[in-house]
Amino acid sequence: MAHSDSVKAGVPSYLMDAQQIKQGAEARIYRGTFLGWSVIIKERFPKLYRHPEVDEKLTRRRTTQEVRSILRCRRAGINAPVVYFVDYTTHCIFLEDIIHSVSVRDHIASAQASEQNPQHLQTLADKIGEILAQMHDEDVIHGDLTTSNMLLVSGAEDQNMKLVLIDFGLSYISALPEDKGVDLYVLEKAFLSTHPKTETLFERLLKSYTASSKKSSAVIKKLDEVRLRGRKRSMVG
Amino acid sequence: MHLTQDLELFPEYTVTQLLFKDVKNATELRKMAVNGEIKGALINPSMVVDAFQILVAANKAVHLHKSGKMKTRSLYSEIIFSLSPTNNISEAFKRFGISDSDSAVLIVLVHNKDETLNIDNIISKVDGQQITVDRVSDLNDVAKIKKLYKVAPQEEKCGSLLDAVVCRMATKDVA
Repeated sequence: MAHSDSVKAGVPSYLMDAQQIKQGAEARIYRGTFLGWSVIIKERFPKLYRHPEVDEKLTRRRTTQEVRSILRCRRAGINAPVVYFVDYTTHCIFLEDIIHSVSVRDHIASAQASEQNPQHLQTLADKIGEILAQMHDEDVIHGDLTTSNMLLVSGAEDQNMKLVLIDFGLSYISALPEDKGVDLYVLEKAFLSTHPKTETLFERLLKSYTASSKKSSAVIKKLDEVRLRGRKRSMVG
Repeated sequence: MHLTQDLELFPEYTVTQLLFKDVKNATELRKMAVNGEIKGALINPSMVVDAFQILVAANKAVHLHKSGKMKTRSLYSEIIFSLSPTNNISEAFKRFGISDSDSAVLIVLVHNKDETLNIDNIISKVDGQQITVDRVSDLNDVAKIKKLYKVAPQEEKCGSLLDAVVCRMATKDVA
């Protein structure tokens, strides 16, 4: 087969035509079409402030962990975007575009703003607790649990709420209750700082987690311990 | 009747798929693929959920071919290998390639856009009936696919069988 060197193909030139929708410290997010489907492309670009060898190793590790955790979640029945293609040379992941969805963050914010239907948010908290319990029972630690990393797919009724977890870049596999406790602590901090006056809602989430997880008591115990650590905390042992 | 699609990441290439049933000369076709008379990948349709699965495999194979990172020796064997959920090459050929006793075959061709492809030439070599590629669902074995790709019922809560298969194909190098 003749190679046409004048045509520069591959992911980088493809990304030039794709629509960039976000840039974070770690990656750029694009939306594009891939083999007829709408996809999200997560590009972990090179970090020039890092030593190049370290950067390559770290970026590759983040990419593989992300992809591995997504597959592990899906195998357990937890919603995460389908991975269509991974380019290990440019560290780009081509993921399913979850259309007609809203982040749980935006959803809670608008629900609070319109002050309608508090019961609906209770059901949402129950559902989140349930899904996190399932995830931790699979020994998947998300690593970056925030309400911006959970998508609520529109259309389903309350009982059939569909929640999709995204952004598994900091995820890893661990059975330790400490790691799961920290995972929940990260969510608690993010939740309470993003959504004011939601302490009871988060408590409900934790209750749902405790009820749905087989290994929850050790995890909650660790969560209580972790809460006592860290910044602005008493140094009384 | 054949299906031709482009690869967005590699705009100079095109992928053409041809599906045949009631094939009587599988042995000959295999020989032709090996000696290069047929420049394509011969795939067993019983393991194919949808034409998209083939496209994803072809995309990955072309990517690895272009970056010099193929695990197998040719682009066509790489397509067959990419379909497999495992990293065992001979197992991939056994399960996804065709055997002498097969009566159906899916032929996948990857060619440059400017190359004129003689499809009729290839069709004439197959002693069987050509059908549209979307009818691969008539020829596949869903139970066998679920077993080989190890798709449990709980995963089907997240998405279709095609989603499960494609996800495994994309992540098998690190899973």
